[in-house]
Amino acid sequence: MATYLALLPSREGSLVAGGDEVVAEARELDPAARVVIIGRGAENAATELAGLCESVELIERDSFEPSRWSDDLVDVIVGADVVVIPASPDGRDLAPRLAALTGRPLIAGALSVQGGQIVVARQGGLLEEHVQFDGPIIVTLQPHVRGALAESELAPTTTTLAVSDTSGTRSNDARLIEVFPPDPATMDLAEASRLVGGGAGLMSGDAAARFAQLGAVAVALGASMGATRVVTDAGWVSHDRQIGTTGVVVAPQVYVAFAISGAVQHTAGLGHPEHIISVNTDPHCPMMAMADLAVVADATATLDALVDRLGAAAPTESAMTA
Amino acid sequence: MTAHDADVIVVGAGPAGSAAAITAARAGLDVVLIERGPFPGSKNMYGGVIYGRVLDGLVPSWWEVAPIQRWITRRSTMLLTANQALTVDFRSDNWAEPPYNGATAYRPEFDSWLADVAVDAGAQLICSTTVTGLIREHGRVVGVRTDRPDGDLRARVVIAADGVNSFLAKEAGLYHHAEPEHYTLGIKETLALPREVIEERFGVRGNHGLDIEILGCTDGIPGGGFLYTNLDTIALGLVLQLPALAAQSKRPEELLAELKTHSAIAPLIEGAEVKEYSAHLIPEAGFHMMPDLVTDGMLVAGDAAAMCLAAGIWLEGVNFAIGAGMAAGQAAAEAIRLDDTSAAGLECYIRRLAQNFVLSDHRKLAEIPGLVMSDRVQQQYPSLVANIVERIFTVTNPQPKPGFNAIARSELKASGIRVRELVQDGWKGLRGFG
Amino acid sequence: MNGRIVACVKWVDLRPEVDSLTGHVVHDERTSGWSPADLAAVELGLTIAEAWSVSCDVICCGPAAAERGLRELLAAGATSVTRIDPGSIEHAPSHHASSADVAAALTQAVTNSGPVTLVLCGDYSLDRGTGSVPAFLAHHLSASQALGVTAVDPAELGRVLVTRRLGGGRSERLELRGPMVVSVEGSVARLRRAGLRATMNATDATIDVIEASGSSSTTHHVRTVSTLPLRPRPRSLPAPPGDDARDRILSLTGALVDRTPPRTIHATADEAADAIIGQLRQWGYLDATDS
Ligand SMILES: Cc1cc2nc3c(=O)[nH]c(=O)nc-3n(C[C@H](O)[C@H](O)[C@H](O)COP(=O)(O)OP(=O)(O)OC[C@H]3O[C@@H](n4cnc5c(N)ncnc54)[C@H](O)[C@@H]3O)c2cc1C
Ligand SMILES: Cc1cc2nc3c(=O)[nH]c(=O)nc-3n(C[C@H](O)[C@H](O)[C@H](O)COP(=O)(O)OP(=O)(O)OC[C@H]3O[C@@H](n4cnc5c(N)ncnc54)[C@H](O)[C@@H]3O)c2cc1C
Ligand SMILES: Nc1ncnc2c1ncn2[C@@H]1O[C@H](COP(=O)(O)O)[C@@H](O)[C@H]1O
Repeated sequence: MATYLALLPSREGSLVAGGDEVVAEARELDPAARVVIIGRGAENAATELAGLCESVELIERDSFEPSRWSDDLVDVIVGADVVVIPASPDGRDLAPRLAALTGRPLIAGALSVQGGQIVVARQGGLLEEHVQFDGPIIVTLQPHVRGALAESELAPTTTTLAVSDTSGTRSNDARLIEVFPPDPATMDLAEASRLVGGGAGLMSGDAAARFAQLGAVAVALGASMGATRVVTDAGWVSHDRQIGTTGVVVAPQVYVAFAISGAVQHTAGLGHPEHIISVNTDPHCPMMAMADLAVVADATATLDALVDRLGAAAPTESAMTA
Repeated sequence: MTAHDADVIVVGAGPAGSAAAITAARAGLDVVLIERGPFPGSKNMYGGVIYGRVLDGLVPSWWEVAPIQRWITRRSTMLLTANQALTVDFRSDNWAEPPYNGATAYRPEFDSWLADVAVDAGAQLICSTTVTGLIREHGRVVGVRTDRPDGDLRARVVIAADGVNSFLAKEAGLYHHAEPEHYTLGIKETLALPREVIEERFGVRGNHGLDIEILGCTDGIPGGGFLYTNLDTIALGLVLQLPALAAQSKRPEELLAELKTHSAIAPLIEGAEVKEYSAHLIPEAGFHMMPDLVTDGMLVAGDAAAMCLAAGIWLEGVNFAIGAGMAAGQAAAEAIRLDDTSAAGLECYIRRLAQNFVLSDHRKLAEIPGLVMSDRVQQQYPSLVANIVERIFTVTNPQPKPGFNAIARSELKASGIRVRELVQDGWKGLRGFG
Repeated sequence: MNGRIVACVKWVDLRPEVDSLTGHVVHDERTSGWSPADLAAVELGLTIAEAWSVSCDVICCGPAAAERGLRELLAAGATSVTRIDPGSIEHAPSHHASSADVAAALTQAVTNSGPVTLVLCGDYSLDRGTGSVPAFLAHHLSASQALGVTAVDPAELGRVLVTRRLGGGRSERLELRGPMVVSVEGSVARLRRAGLRATMNATDATIDVIEASGSSSTTHHVRTVSTLPLRPRPRSLPAPPGDDARDRILSLTGALVDRTPPRTIHATADEAADAIIGQLRQWGYLDATDS
């Protein structure tokens, strides 16, 4: 049986997105899979894996240096047939360098790793390709595609790995100047915990102004803005803001839907928000049926009223198009 | 004289433009062919029937190399009323072998192919470039402006083949009679069906195909419908006169959706998946709306000169465009050879058009668009004929059958059409097509 | 000239047609082109090349049809364009070369004409979409890397500052020195429009073509076994709490659970706005002080 190793970068004491899923995937295939966290605050990041694994090996590093880290990791991954890394930033940067250093093939952006067969998305998510392998490889796993279920709240035990640390020696890695905090307006939708969505019902009249307004309301609520495919197809909102199976699969905690009917392709990509508010003139559409608070009202006028109340800042370019 | 970058600039790589570029380049001229789309045909209507005989003079044995979908071996004309349909069906095996008659083709493929012939002949094709205006000196066209930086280009002759509603012909002041009612809107859906299903449903084999023209399906708006078979798609569309369409509250898509549910059409397209929807203007009035075809330094060809023979259900534009383009390229070469590219020097274009079929057909058929678009043909005849046929075929036993003449007389009376009009229209039609 | 910029671009079908039942892909050469991200990379390359007074070469590993697109980039101002014929590094059945092999071939072409200061790539290719070619390139060139960049600001020759997207909505500012590889998002820049004369000159310019050398051994034990239309995989979610099936079903359906019962209200716009704000406040998403 193949041996697995989950390799998770951490930053400032947190795992990069998809770290828990990588652990869950690896442990499902190999109950003895090793889990290694590398980065700043690795010890703290390990607590996020409570109930997902029993022990974690830590490599504490100050800042993200893909070139130096991969040099240091070559010895660490020896013995693991399959190294799984999250395909989020940092993971995506590290994996190819490690693959090149160790001569292992890289299968990047996998949707699933299942007993000897790996599924990757191709053609912008229209196709899936099934890949088989029979030697040591490196795989990166798309975040948010599988979910991770904690079996308990038990935090894993940690051991610090004795790895020769080449920090301080000359490397050709980029130099970090500053980290900027999240800006919901430009945040990846998939990451947003609060989402405001707009549908076709907002497209009559001055649609550009409507969606600018929606963006402003989103900002005022600390939320990111998304839209249905009808809206993105019409070009009022860019495609990377399309919520749904053929757009971004999201996982917000709260979703506020304006004039969205709730077609299955839309809601199937919506995750399972704890709280949903829907504003629609049709009380019987699926989005209203899903809502905790279903408001039968004109969505455009409601937006006007919300802008008044929230004193939503004049819409900025970035809030709309980012 | 000012320096020029080329002998001839052809604007628009549609059938007219490419044909002009081919003949001009073959005459040894330095030709630049400018197209606004990313490739020739990208902006053009998808599919239709192309009558290729005109290509004989350009590409010998063109039927072996042109990207053809199906050869039309069956042509039907269908008269529809809300709940009746009468079809006249004609099939000819002669149309299934060289030199063939009509063929269905995808315009992106066909136009790209013809433009490649021009490139092989030595023309320089520049895509993704829109001509934004004419450069004129002392009233004479000496070149074009394009939307690219450093985008002016000069030539001895400009051939405007920029399609319907030609912006260049208008800018040069060549249009005198274009009215909205001279245009129709063509809309079309491309519907995908497996190849075998198409062959079974339409009774054709191999690469043979069917073309149906439909009258009476436009809800009172002058126009008509069409259905063409490609290899694994069907083109179904409508042609609608603009002012009447504007006066109606119905949108063109709705009319097409209604046609799709008509009991004579629905079974033909059942299960098909809509692949594409497109819409395009068609110059309908033919000879009556043609602009001046030449001016100092410029020729106009194809749809740009309203040379499309479009009378509701009959749509022949590609063959006319190619014929006109060929004549334009040759005329440009002749004028340049004689070193007179003024309007007078370019007059030879009109002579050539009159000699080949382009102008003579248009003259002959000048009255047809008006006839086909008339109220009688559009609304009264389909229901008149359908009612007559229905009564003939309806078994009314035990009452005795009325004779044909009796039925025809009573239906004609009921329709309110006067016999004199019927005779006149029949005569116009005979003279036009005969 | 003491530096050189190279932009790497991939020839892809921008609108592939995928049969949603069989997964069969129909490619149309006429709808092929460069992705917005790759075009952004070229534009940045041209702009920075002007600022540094260095050359900007463009390289593509792809089919002969790509030469049409390479001519457009030449017309837009690239110093030279090179096509690498993938030939031997493409694998059946997908006819795709592995990212590692492509990067190796690109490295060879990049270094052929001397040392390079800055290599620009798109963040993801549209067809494979792994974003790994740039990192492989950085490895081969012993270069520093910044992937998925949303802004690039050139400093003096050989130094750039970039903003890079991180997870969780954060981003970081990095300083890089040559040799470096930067992959950019499509929104970073739009390719300038090539001049008419440059376009005409490029239509018959010759394009350098080099052969990719044999594929690396590492990819040999990986093979594609099937290709299907994408079906999203099920996500694992917490099982509903409850000791027996009845309890679990109750909690799964939410019946009898003490949570905000779903409410439907018919409201004027003002009432609607108040209700929404009130509800968000009750759930704790808004402070009482907001609005
Ligand atoms: C293969 C496939 C993939 C797809 N993928 C996606 C996807 O990823 N994401 C996606 O979103 N869609 C997707 N779709 C499209 C999806 O099926 C729906 O068409 C789409 O989600 C509907 O968007 P909508 O709710 O904005 O529009 P509609 O369904 O038209 O709904 C508009 C709603 O607004 C309401 N409304 C109108 N005016 C007002 C008003 N003044 N005030 C309040 N309410 C008003 C109406 O009552 C209606 O409920 C996909 C479809 C297919 C076939
Ligand atoms: C619905 C419909 C169905 C039809 N069916 C048939 C049929 O079955 N059979 C038939 O023979 N004909 C048919 N026609 C008519 C036929 O399409 C036209 O008559 C024919 O395309 C005319 O060719 P053309 O070269 O003159 O113009 P076009 O084919 O319109 O070509 C003009 C070219 O110029 C380019 N262009 C325009 N402006 C500029 C500019 N400023 N700068 C650069 N390039 C420019 C355009 O992109 C285009 O490529 C149909 C038309 C319609 C709308
Ligand atoms: N065949 C190729 N030729 C040139 N550049 C490439 C090629 N494949 C990938 N790239 C570059 O690498 C980027 C990321 O591609 P990928 O790693 O395939 O997602 C692309 O945007 C290109 O800039």
